[in-house]
Amino acid sequence: MNIAMLDQHYRHLQHLEAAINACALSVSVNADGTISSVNNLMLNALQLPVSAIEGQLFEAILIPVNRDQWTAIVQKIAGGAAVQEQIGFLINGITPLWIEAGINPVFDDNGQLAQFLLIGLNITERKLSELRIQEDEQYFRQILENLPIGLQQFSPEGISMEMNSRQREIWGQDHPFLRQPDYNWLQDPQYRLNGLTRLFEEVREGRKTQKREILLNYTEKHYDDITRIYPVYFEATVFPVVDKQSNMANLFLILDDITEKKLAEISLQKSERLLDNIIENLPIGYIQFDNFGFIRRINQTQRNFFNSPHPAARRQFNVMNDEFATTFELDDLFQRALQENETIRLEKKVDFTKDARWTSVQREVYLDLTVFPVVNPIDKERIVVALVNDITDKKTQELENIKNQEFLLQTGQIGKIGGWELEVATNTIRWSDQAYHIHECLPGTPLTLDVLLNFYQTASRLNLAHHIETCIRTCKPFDVQLTFSLQKNIIKRIRCIGQADVTSGQPQRIYGVVQDITEQSAIRDALSRNTELMRLFFDTMDMGYAAMEPDGRLNFVNQKAEKMIGRKVPAGANIFEVFPKLSGTVFYARLQECIKQHTSQSFGIYFPLPDKWYDFLLTPMQDGGISVFIRDITESRKMQKELRKANDQLSNLNKNLVNQNKQLEDFAHITSHNLRAPIANLKALMQMHNEATSGQERELYLGMLHEVIKKIDETLNDLVEVVQIRKDVNVEKEKLYFADRLQKVKDILLVDIENSKIQITADFEKAPALVYSKVYLDSILQNFITNAIRYRSPERTPALRLQTWVENDAIILTVEDNGVGIDMERFGNKLFGFRKTFHKNKDAKGIGLFITKTQVEAMGGSIKAESKPGFGTKFIITFRPE
Amino acid sequence: MNLIDMIFIVDDDPIHQQIAKIMIERQGISSNIRVFSDAQEVLDYFRENTKEAAALPDLILLDLNMPVMDGWEFLDEYAGFQAELPKSIKIFVLTSSIDEKDKERVRSYSFVSGYLTKPLSKEIISHLS
Repeated sequence: MNIAMLDQHYRHLQHLEAAINACALSVSVNADGTISSVNNLMLNALQLPVSAIEGQLFEAILIPVNRDQWTAIVQKIAGGAAVQEQIGFLINGITPLWIEAGINPVFDDNGQLAQFLLIGLNITERKLSELRIQEDEQYFRQILENLPIGLQQFSPEGISMEMNSRQREIWGQDHPFLRQPDYNWLQDPQYRLNGLTRLFEEVREGRKTQKREILLNYTEKHYDDITRIYPVYFEATVFPVVDKQSNMANLFLILDDITEKKLAEISLQKSERLLDNIIENLPIGYIQFDNFGFIRRINQTQRNFFNSPHPAARRQFNVMNDEFATTFELDDLFQRALQENETIRLEKKVDFTKDARWTSVQREVYLDLTVFPVVNPIDKERIVVALVNDITDKKTQELENIKNQEFLLQTGQIGKIGGWELEVATNTIRWSDQAYHIHECLPGTPLTLDVLLNFYQTASRLNLAHHIETCIRTCKPFDVQLTFSLQKNIIKRIRCIGQADVTSGQPQRIYGVVQDITEQSAIRDALSRNTELMRLFFDTMDMGYAAMEPDGRLNFVNQKAEKMIGRKVPAGANIFEVFPKLSGTVFYARLQECIKQHTSQSFGIYFPLPDKWYDFLLTPMQDGGISVFIRDITESRKMQKELRKANDQLSNLNKNLVNQNKQLEDFAHITSHNLRAPIANLKALMQMHNEATSGQERELYLGMLHEVIKKIDETLNDLVEVVQIRKDVNVEKEKLYFADRLQKVKDILLVDIENSKIQITADFEKAPALVYSKVYLDSILQNFITNAIRYRSPERTPALRLQTWVENDAIILTVEDNGVGIDMERFGNKLFGFRKTFHKNKDAKGIGLFITKTQVEAMGGSIKAESKPGFGTKFIITFRPE
Repeated sequence: MNLIDMIFIVDDDPIHQQIAKIMIERQGISSNIRVFSDAQEVLDYFRENTKEAAALPDLILLDLNMPVMDGWEFLDEYAGFQAELPKSIKIFVLTSSIDEKDKERVRSYSFVSGYLTKPLSKEIISHLS
């Protein structure tokens, strides 16, 4: 090697040294352990002057943290080996210095260790951080190990990897987790049963922490000879831990013993349920309001009491603004309890008929209300509780008692009844206020039996003393009337009733009532007199009279009635027994009517055997009895009958006279009109005949005279027929069937009917027959058929419809044709007139309808017509009812 | 000598029609006599000849009791149009009725000249002209 090359090596070494010095710490240590040199970076790290370093023992300046490590390194170096390690030192035993060091031994020519060179990077900062982490990890591991809750690490497959001491304690030393390394709890049915593995699987699938309360097992506790088994509850939490690639790395199970908390909770729930049960089954109503006034709870009693069919109905109810609640000032109660923090108890009358929204009680009730505020122990909210007791029955009874007392007092006053008692041992008398009042004695005046007896007149006094003495001796009750005098010689009558109150066989007291009967006595006397007067009055009446009970028992019968009955009637006898003829008459029915309607009933009864008519008047009396007035009206009945008969005869006579008068008038009219005309013609013709100059002329007049005479003859015959009908009042009548008579007439008019082709129909079903003159009925039917044919319309086939029915007991016959009809406005008043014609029909003589009308009216009937020209005519005949 | 140009006899009785016609003709009152059996026929005639004075009668002898239309109805109808007729017509009621009520009723028709009761006689006829 030449100089140039050495020089080059040297420069190279210098560069290398410079590079090392720039980034690394270096120290050269002599074989004796003293420092030979340090570079600048080392000086900076040591913070010491060179003089304080060089020549000093290396281990005195840089104290190895790990002595064992350093000893091993020194041995290695001494052995000639290079060492590369992280070595910690404490500068002056205080400041840590960590070096990533490479230590190389340097041997002298003899192969002896001369020096070793330590070159390294200062890694103090990084190393300290690592150490801190390690320390922390150890620290946390220690904490986890000693946690009071169990912690266990699992592989995702369910193999236990690690667990802390608490978890080991929980599982126990014999658990497969600790004895079998390949134990997989996911396949253990026990954990399937208690839900732990399910929880594990859910977390594994969902990758989210989940928590559940688990009844893990049971524990035994021994108390002397008793072993009790307790459940052990844990709160199990499973959470996943994922690696950097978000893969499921591990799952952790935390088990926290919550047995105490759980048992406390169960106990609390039990207490709550018990409380609930107590409240629910309280025999009084319980309503819990929140501090806004809304109902939060109602117990069973209250629900039954409200009888509310819809629990939802009360949801909107607020005691502060509900109309019903405010009406009965329940809002005030709520507010007072809440604001003044006081318990209020009161009785309240509430009318539930005024509210149908949340109760169907629908009546007036009395409530015993206790309202008090309570602070909810959980949320500290103040609530109001109302205890409701339905005291309606009690209250009603109370009111009833008060009323009864008032009533007794009032009735005592009205009835003038007082109470009294005698204490036998002391002979003292106690009176009620009313008793004092009856005796006109100042209330409260002390009384003894002697004082009492002195109130009465001698006879009464002795009488009362006797009865009291007997009552004390024999316990025999008594009821006596006594008399005593007041000032101004006023006499009072009283009734005194007494009976013994027996205890242990001997009467201790006698008690009873006293009643002022002065007025009653006076009234009874007056009544007796009146009864006697009444008896006298009724006996003098010319009319039977009986006072009886609704069941027929007779209280009183006057002499006249007894005469009618035919024997003496004892009081209390029954009217139907003493007067058997009444049975089967209307008497019983009318008596019932009188009782039921409470109205007087008047009626007559005919008794055929004695041939007597009695008029009865039954009148209800205020006391429920019935007054029976009986009048013998036999004579007046007979007279009445005679009178009615005579009246009927007169009436008939009158009717006939009026009828005849009318007929006479008609007849005079007919005569004047229908006989005068031909007579006048006769007269004129006679005059013309007499003055005629030729025989031919006279022949003409004679011929005309003949015509006139013929006409007069016809007219007279018609008139005679009419007169005959009118005269024949008692024409023979028989039962005739319309159908038979119609057939007979149709037979007579057979030729005309066939020629005219008239269609005759009839309906006599509703009234098939009547009692009438056969001649008249035939004539009537024949006339209608003839008219229908004669006045048929050329425009249509003639038809005639006959019909009968009954109306108001009378038989009606209608005969309706479809002929030419009659103008009723023009000819209506002449339709049934004698020799009145309205058509130019040559056969019309104006006699048919006149005869028909005469025949109908002669039998007491009537006829009328309805018609419309061009449509036909309808005749309506009403036959007189039989 | 015709005192009256045209006379209408209104009566349903054919005998009376003949008697009246003969008597009037014999008296020479009129030779132009027309006979009607009911008042409706006369009314129809009037309606057809209202404006022709020559066709209208100078005198009418009117019966009261007739079929179809009686004398009363005719008088009621006539009252409605008589003022419009081109000439004055005398109307006599000639009836067999002697009823005072009928006489009284006829008097209520001012245009009726008289109430005559049958039989017709020379004296009556002589008074017609």
